[in-house]
Amino acid sequence: MMRSRRRAGAFALACLAILGGAALSCGRAPSTEVVFWEFWPAEIVQPLLDRFEHEHPGVHVRLEQLTWQSGQEKIAAAVGADHVPDLCEVGSTWMPRLLAGGKLAEWTSSVEDLRPELRGWSLCSIGDHAYGLPWVMGTRALFYNKTLFAKAGLDSTKPPETWDDLYAAAEAIQKLGGGVHGYGVQAGERYILFKKFMPFAWGNGGRILSDDQTAAVFDSPQNLAALEFYLKLRDVGLIEHQDELDRQFKDGRLGLEISGAWLFKSIPRDAPRLRYGVALVPRPDLEHGTHASFAGGEVLVGFKAAKQQAAALQLARFLVRADNALALSIAAKGVQPAAVAADTAAYYREHPAEQVMIQQFETAVPTPNHPAWGDMEAAIEDEIEQALLGKKTPRQALSDANQKLAQLVAKP
Amino acid sequence: MSAAERWDGGADERRRQAHVPAWRWIWLGPWLATMLVPFAWMLAISLAPAAGGSLSRALTTPWSLANYRALFATAHLGTYLVNSAVVALAVVTLNVLTAAMVGYVLGRRRVGGERFWTLGIVATLMLPKQVLMIPLYLVIARLHLLDTYAALILPFAVDAFSIFLVRQYVLGLPAELEEAARVDGASDVAIFVRIVLPLMRPVLAVVAIQSFLANWNSFLYPLILVDSDRLRTLPVGLALLSQTEHSVDWGFLMAGSALASLPVLAAFLAFQRHILSGVLAGSEK
Amino acid sequence: MSRRVHSRATSWLLLAPWVVAFAVFGLYPFAFSLGASFTDYSPIHEGAPHFVGFANYAAALADPAFWSSLGTTAVFVVGSIPFTTALALALALAVQPAFRGRTLFRVGFFLPSVVSVVVLSLVFKGLYAADGTLNALLGALHLPTPSWLLDPHTALPAIMAMDVWSASGYYMVIFLAGLEAIPRELYEAAHLEGAGRWDAFAHITLPLLRPTLLFVLVVNTVRSLQIFAEVFVMTRGGPLHATTTVVYYLYEQAFYRFNLGYASAVAYLLFAVTLLLAWAQMKLVGRPTEGAA
Repeated sequence: MMRSRRRAGAFALACLAILGGAALSCGRAPSTEVVFWEFWPAEIVQPLLDRFEHEHPGVHVRLEQLTWQSGQEKIAAAVGADHVPDLCEVGSTWMPRLLAGGKLAEWTSSVEDLRPELRGWSLCSIGDHAYGLPWVMGTRALFYNKTLFAKAGLDSTKPPETWDDLYAAAEAIQKLGGGVHGYGVQAGERYILFKKFMPFAWGNGGRILSDDQTAAVFDSPQNLAALEFYLKLRDVGLIEHQDELDRQFKDGRLGLEISGAWLFKSIPRDAPRLRYGVALVPRPDLEHGTHASFAGGEVLVGFKAAKQQAAALQLARFLVRADNALALSIAAKGVQPAAVAADTAAYYREHPAEQVMIQQFETAVPTPNHPAWGDMEAAIEDEIEQALLGKKTPRQALSDANQKLAQLVAKP
Repeated sequence: MSAAERWDGGADERRRQAHVPAWRWIWLGPWLATMLVPFAWMLAISLAPAAGGSLSRALTTPWSLANYRALFATAHLGTYLVNSAVVALAVVTLNVLTAAMVGYVLGRRRVGGERFWTLGIVATLMLPKQVLMIPLYLVIARLHLLDTYAALILPFAVDAFSIFLVRQYVLGLPAELEEAARVDGASDVAIFVRIVLPLMRPVLAVVAIQSFLANWNSFLYPLILVDSDRLRTLPVGLALLSQTEHSVDWGFLMAGSALASLPVLAAFLAFQRHILSGVLAGSEK
Repeated sequence: MSRRVHSRATSWLLLAPWVVAFAVFGLYPFAFSLGASFTDYSPIHEGAPHFVGFANYAAALADPAFWSSLGTTAVFVVGSIPFTTALALALALAVQPAFRGRTLFRVGFFLPSVVSVVVLSLVFKGLYAADGTLNALLGALHLPTPSWLLDPHTALPAIMAMDVWSASGYYMVIFLAGLEAIPRELYEAAHLEGAGRWDAFAHITLPLLRPTLLFVLVVNTVRSLQIFAEVFVMTRGGPLHATTTVVYYLYEQAFYRFNLGYASAVAYLLFAVTLLLAWAQMKLVGRPTEGAA
């Protein structure tokens, strides 16, 4: 009997909790409240928001942080129910679909003046129409282990500049043996392989789609050469998932890998004594090609269904300002500002490794803004992976990929 | 064959089993060891702040409680814990009650087409949440329950898994005690509360354990149905604090997961006794 | 007669919670998904969705990727459930009688279920790495050490092994409850008549455990058919789609392509398969026991 009394008590408590929760949620609303959804830690973003509120009295920003895990599910659900925030941070990989969906607020006329100040407009525009503001950018560069370079008899102040240099360096380090590998080849994971292979293709002048996005040009001699080189790297390296490659690099067992700025945050934390350097992605040779890399980033968007349109745009313009975006980038370390003015900041002069990322932006290539981009990326990755795991010849892989791309481009 | 004769407190059992354990340890021991390896890994990583996710470095670098200290210093950890606890308590209570009620009705075949009802209830488990989450979100939004405790409790108050579990258990329970009580003129409600519920103690303990577990570690729905930080639950809070787009703060995440698993372990330890000792209480009238 | 009427009223009263909860929170999502499966609904698309009839279903049935994912899921289910069930039952039988250290074993076997699936999968991703802990152990025993999650032949078995390992403790607890319902004196009577342990198991335990066994089979089947989180964390459906299960396939459609209409159609195809399997299991295994008087 005492048990059922306890149960009744627990039940009552549960009811109270429900009612209490419902009551708590009917709060008071300040003058203008802008709801902002973003992914960075609150302690990094809140100071920026405090400054914004100081510059714009009467506007309060309610920050709601999203998790990277399942974050896009949350955004999709909110957009589907029109229960949208006023301002939202969205990753560049989701933008093509969102742009095609038509629920984003158009900001073209209100952001004309910012055109020369920011880079990455292709991430949030359809043609000349802007549906967001680029906030921060991310790219990929070559990370190398200086200690292993020295051990292999290489000059650790001269990172590889060309494909041949890269191969030679990886070969030398691979020969060290004892669980040490030369180059980290990423495989087995969707949405990442693309960013590790395409730099070589782009660097060699290869493209995916024609400039007007009506034809697939993936099956080209430049891309073939790039793929053949990439496959050669397997012989002097290790094939693994990206986070395992990062882990091995931090362990000091991997000589070279293409990775991103998140390492600037995790290396000091996880491997403070690692001696490493950063270089631009190697180009085919000194006369041809570019140090191309992948360009992505985070975009700030507003929604047509949002309550506070004007204030949201004000907040967006504030956040993409060079000083604010720089503050975020310095604290978060995984990205760099989209604002061009931040390139010359003292911080990057003091941190040459991060400076390389900024330099890498100059030759970084964004992905096509085609609505079917998701399927295209999947097609490319499937075929490259087949070649990587030896199931297809490079020529066959490119040809099959191009066929799939041609079909996808043809769809409306 | 009364319920009282079913269980002698285990005394006979213990006498009989006392000389058996040796061979049990031989095959159970190694299997238990494999269970512990991943947790040993997690603990090692959480105690080696300078090692990242690497076990080899974790074993060679100095250990410290830095990750745990950082965890407890986290601004809103208390809030997350309280929210998780409140929601879990509410959901478990509701699950146990409703599973007992509905499972009993189904197990005793008290409604027509009971098999059909059961299949229907089990069928609600058969659509993946990736597809259900957006329409559920729409329902919660229309009911103006987004960003409330109610959103985290009400949709999960009645659980098909628990109902099915109780129904199966009830199928195996002899009905004489209930019949006898009915002959004696007891009301349906009295029979349910005084005879059936105590008999169901083992399965209700399992319902409590699995319901607490499912709810405590629940991530997707607490993420999408709740926006504010003050209503955030522990798994979402942990993810916010330890995961960035491309990398995981391993030490912190492992420390947080270790902490998060303690209440579940406690609940398991508390309830697992009841899986055994339930039957005696029901024999008294 | 009044008692029978009263009894039915109570029955419906006791059934009410499920009916209400389902009406509010279950019916709409189910109906919505069914409806969406006949349209081109996308949550991020402006304007009303268009009715497309059975186009989504036809597209799914014509997509080799869908069939491949169905095959992968089938392998997963058929390959893991017998082991999970047998292991869970064996563990329950082993830790049911009283002996010193029993609680330690119970807690130990249940331990994998205590941590969130995502965290456990992250841990295993590290353990399965080419030079991870598992290969270190295997190497010491001079056994092969493949890169478990990168080889299309070993990736799915690796995930299946992890699933069997972690789920066995969970279902062990359920079997424990089921074992408890079996009257002790049946065993004593059998012992008096000279029946051995195996006879007792085959003729008393197994038959009376039938409802619990059915539960474990049905629930584990339903859950395994929907396996997602482990795949998402450990392999993202790779390598070469070796671990792309049906739910992973529909997740990509729903949240990378935002084709929720198509994803719903795939979900309902899976639903049909699941329902059929569960119904078959209930028919084959789920006959009422003779325990009820």
